[in-house]
Amino acid sequence: MSEQSAKEQNSIPTSKVQRSGKFVKTGIKVGGNYLKHYSKKLFNPELDRSELNEDNATDIYQSLSELKGSALKVAQMLSMDKNLLPQAYVDKFSQSQYNAPPLSGPLIVQTFKKYFGKSPDKIFDKFEPRSSNAASIGQVHRAELNGKKLAIKIQYPGVGNSISSDLKMVKPFAFRIMGISGKELDIYMNEVEERLLEETDYELEVRRSISFSEACADLNNVVFPKYYPELSSKRIITMDWLEGKHLREFLQTDPSQELRNQIGQALWDFYNFQQHELRAVHADPHPGNFLITAEGKLGVIDFGCVKEMPEDFYYPFFSLISADLLENKEETIKAFRQLDMIHPNDSPEQIAFYYGMYRQMIELFAKPYITDHFDFSETAFFDDLYGFGEKIAKMPEFKQPRGVKHFIYINRTNFGLYSILHELKATVKTDTYKPHVVLTY
Amino acid sequence: MATTESIKKAYIDYVLTEGTQPKSVYIFAKKHKLTEAEFYNHFGSFDALEQSIWTDLAKTTIAEIQGQEVWSGYTAREKGLSFFYSFFELLKGSRSFAVYSVKHLPKGLSTPRIFQGLKAEFEAFSNSILNDGLDTGELSDRKFFSKRYKDALWMQFAFVLNFWIHDDSAGFEKTDEAIEKGLNVTFDLFQRSPIDNLFEYGKFLAKNAGFKEPAGFGGL
Repeated sequence: MSEQSAKEQNSIPTSKVQRSGKFVKTGIKVGGNYLKHYSKKLFNPELDRSELNEDNATDIYQSLSELKGSALKVAQMLSMDKNLLPQAYVDKFSQSQYNAPPLSGPLIVQTFKKYFGKSPDKIFDKFEPRSSNAASIGQVHRAELNGKKLAIKIQYPGVGNSISSDLKMVKPFAFRIMGISGKELDIYMNEVEERLLEETDYELEVRRSISFSEACADLNNVVFPKYYPELSSKRIITMDWLEGKHLREFLQTDPSQELRNQIGQALWDFYNFQQHELRAVHADPHPGNFLITAEGKLGVIDFGCVKEMPEDFYYPFFSLISADLLENKEETIKAFRQLDMIHPNDSPEQIAFYYGMYRQMIELFAKPYITDHFDFSETAFFDDLYGFGEKIAKMPEFKQPRGVKHFIYINRTNFGLYSILHELKATVKTDTYKPHVVLTY
Repeated sequence: MATTESIKKAYIDYVLTEGTQPKSVYIFAKKHKLTEAEFYNHFGSFDALEQSIWTDLAKTTIAEIQGQEVWSGYTAREKGLSFFYSFFELLKGSRSFAVYSVKHLPKGLSTPRIFQGLKAEFEAFSNSILNDGLDTGELSDRKFFSKRYKDALWMQFAFVLNFWIHDDSAGFEKTDEAIEKGLNVTFDLFQRSPIDNLFEYGKFLAKNAGFKEPAGFGGL
């Protein structure tokens, strides 16, 4: 793995045939891993599946990181839902949250010439031709202009075109890894496709980044880079270079509890302000999208993925989080119906079953909201959460599609937030931006 | 007073409007109020004129990329990529002419006359970057084959040109992909690869393993 990621990638398989080839190869490898596993098991019946999972995750990761683009994005998404994935997959997929190999220098020059008519060294005082890191559908370069340090995000050509065909090919893998049914996967994939296509629109991202950073400007300890629309285009974003550490590097410096809490609080406020006041949320809470500055502030550097919440989702879902509604069985079931968690043609037994399960799930999810403080270092809470996730993943009743599509990104956002707070081991004041609640349906 | 440039412009305008070469230099010259002699002072024939347009495109491209600050830091691979990107970016400005010119090429295997100057420029350029690459060890020096590397690049060029002529994607993004992918594959082949190692291993076995007739390898 290490020599793989160290060397500069020389070619990106971009045509559909080439990409398919990559996936077929992975399929064969994964098949081979199973063969290896079972032949070993013949001699050693005690062998558990963790080595197999590890082998599979490595092979899938290798093929995904060579593919770049939307496939890498899916890898990032999968790694967010820890509760849905065995640990080995998570460990490997998490690598994709940091570095993927870069594209050639002349292509960068070409992209600038196409949109600005000038090469980057004529636009900026200084432009670093080697990328400093990958941004999954693009890569980031350092530059300087008028004494300001800048980060330039550049998108690969043809990303938008290949997303749909990529997702079709990822499907069988995601299907196998996540063990969910085809139809549910369709809802999921369509929603993902929509968001991913938005992410390829850098002009939209700049507009959103500016409006979100303005709306969130008053939050404590949250900072945003300044964006430069005049130096941005369909495939280029220019913003200030934020100096800071990624979460994992930050944790390696062994920060004080006070500092962890401060960062945790900033994250909590940032997400809950967006969810409850803006009704649109930065839906990509993977650790690579945040930097922790030397002053102990949270820097947010990527608004590519934004999920807007319609009222008919926001009110029923977040009202359930308030204990008062959940006490009222009748109104709770009405809310579940509105969220499509209980279907119109469910039998009374089914209603009772799903009511029970979803109530448990929501109670778990809402735990941090119930009290005014919450200690996210508490392992028991996460064990319960993952345990519950694993339990329902095995239940035949949950193989069917349930719940509106908005859950995909909202769950991802909130579980992502929770797991970052857990890694931070932060204690957070959870009543800073409260959900708006409706008590009857 | 007609200049080389003004005659070229007039010619391009003519072929794009009429869709064909002028019937004769006489007709062309008369239409643009030149004397035939003036035309022949600059070009020997229409083909020579077209050839000079293509040659100039290559010359302009090479001068431009070599003037870039990053140039000296580029590897041979990046220099090659840089030529392709810049050439097709430049060609965008004369796309109609390029399409006309390529579509009117005579069928055949040899390099068309109008591309001979361009090819000479291209090969000189290729040779210089390839030699740099061979010197630094970036590219693998193989007997017989390394002399043919430039031909592989020329074939690549012909392929991309043809691809671009038929490319209808916005901003010719697909051509960018074709360049990035195609050139990288070509340069991958120029680099030291498992085939070199296999070949050397074969040579080693033939000399040292004591086989009089290595089975299945036809006496490698």
